[in-house]
Amino acid sequence: MTPADARLKALFAHHAPPARDPAFSAAVVERLVRRRCLQDLALLGGLSTVGGVALWGLWPVLQPALIAVSDRLAPSAWALAVAFCAVAALGGLGERAPAVES
Amino acid sequence: MNMEGLDESLVAAAQAGSTQAFSRLVERHQQAVRAFLRRACGDWALADDLAQETFLAAWPRIGRLKAGASVRAWLCGIAYRKHLTSRRSAARSRTRDAAYEAERIVPAAGALDDRLTLETAMAELPTDQRACVALCLAADFSHAEAADALELPLGTVKSHVARGRARLLIALGVPDDAC
Repeated sequence: MTPADARLKALFAHHAPPARDPAFSAAVVERLVRRRCLQDLALLGGLSTVGGVALWGLWPVLQPALIAVSDRLAPSAWALAVAFCAVAALGGLGERAPAVES
Repeated sequence: MNMEGLDESLVAAAQAGSTQAFSRLVERHQQAVRAFLRRACGDWALADDLAQETFLAAWPRIGRLKAGASVRAWLCGIAYRKHLTSRRSAARSRTRDAAYEAERIVPAAGALDDRLTLETAMAELPTDQRACVALCLAADFSHAEAADALELPLGTVKSHVARGRARLLIALGVPDDAC
């Protein structure tokens, strides 16, 4: 490196931010997480809307079918619900919750 | 593990969806990206905003980063394109800025130190020349690495660096010892 280049480099060094800047990194990650959260909310909102509209459209067809099978499915549905509640209450499902990352 | 190896493992983890790995990449490369943008656009606050935008834009694109590619050059490439977009959108307010600059009290030439002279000389360079100078002279990028980051031909980068360097040295009154 020539002396002129060294001089330029020394002057340019004034522009350099610190090698570690937790505030900057935290701001980036915060904006990233917020953006992902908004995207997830938009996706869930869209899916819910589509599901609601589909259910509304199919309800005239679904309702008679559900009434027809509900008598036979009711005991099984109760048993499944009780089993699910028992497992959840004993903590079996709690361990599956993600720690930091999704 | 060397720096490139650490980058590769962090990139692989980020590509698998790890935000923690991506935040490590932000920590490791924020200095290079922010310094490049400060030199390229001259406005430090804007440069830091653009640096944040750069990392936010990098996250969804990280899957496209090839194995073994330089993360620093890739990020600086995104930063450069953010800078160009910002310049285009700021064109409308340039008239207002020019009026402000005209009213601003400019210190006497003798009071300007070398850093201000350098900043003024950098501001007068064309955008792409300035980016080449910022990468190759200030940040130790190779010409090939800068050409890759800025998506410019290698010969163009070399000539931009040579011309930019000459103009900066003239502005600073430093004899060009490479001639």
